[in-house]
Amino acid sequence: MDKKLKDYRESIESNKTKSLVLMALLFALALVLSIVENLLPPVVPSVPGVKFGLSNIAVMYALFFLRKRQAFLIALLKALFAAVTRGVIAGILSLSGGVLSLAAMILLMLLFGERISYLLISVAGSIFHNIGQLVAVAFIYTSIYTFAYFPVLLISGLAAGTATATLLRLIIPALKKLG
Amino acid sequence: MKELKFFKKTDIIVILIIATVGLAALAGYRLIAREKPAVAEIYYYSDLIASINLNEGEERAFSIPQKPNVILHQYPDGSICFEESDCPDKVCIHTGKISMVGQSAACLPNGIIVKIVPAGERDPDDPDIVVGWHDAAMDR
Repeated sequence: MDKKLKDYRESIESNKTKSLVLMALLFALALVLSIVENLLPPVVPSVPGVKFGLSNIAVMYALFFLRKRQAFLIALLKALFAAVTRGVIAGILSLSGGVLSLAAMILLMLLFGERISYLLISVAGSIFHNIGQLVAVAFIYTSIYTFAYFPVLLISGLAAGTATATLLRLIIPALKKLG
Repeated sequence: MKELKFFKKTDIIVILIIATVGLAALAGYRLIAREKPAVAEIYYYSDLIASINLNEGEERAFSIPQKPNVILHQYPDGSICFEESDCPDKVCIHTGKISMVGQSAACLPNGIIVKIVPAGERDPDDPDIVVGWHDAAMDR
């Protein structure tokens, strides 16, 4: 493991207050990003429930620089917040998208190790976030032709993943100052 | 394990492959689905409320009895859209007109889904018989 990353993780984990504050900040970041996102027009207007997934930035940060457990916690809190503020269905959509996206990202990291880049992980995360949401939509409501949207999901995932990876890169220096 | 790179040159290849597959699938699907006769099925949660033949060239605006605040509009060119809705996000209206088999529009807050299916074909999941009728008025 890279020494810098290891040091960073240890400095966060050795101090409970620090790790608590960082988690709170990441959660707050996720909420603000999802509010901002809801103000923007939908990326793929014809696909219900599919969005940019800007708040995934917080989940990705936790996954890349903290631990998997923290990343799942942020995704879970995000879904809970969506359920409380926008209804149970929004919560289920957020949860299924978030968990599937996280699972895909973790799988890629395990499979390819250091041969993969943040950008590709982010793209995969976005694509699977959309797929997870669409699967949930298809489950809750009568079988929408989910497969018809698959190409749209691939392309929108590419765009969204690139955007989130770029934003994450801009945010990293600010968050690293905390460590 | 070293810290990952943000971007690698090989990423371009992977991204191009994903984009090509996506665009090709999209184009292929559009080609197949374009000229088929289509029926719009309107669902309220999982109940099929109405089937509308889109190829009759009719123009009308209507709503379903369960949700009178949601107005759908059928156009003579064979498309249909959500015209008005009392939902907060208006995703259904932003979806715009849909006309091709496989497309769908949904107003999730109101539980309404419109999906375009091929005319004359039935979904294998469709019920063979309806026993009893769930009265939406009882929910109010």
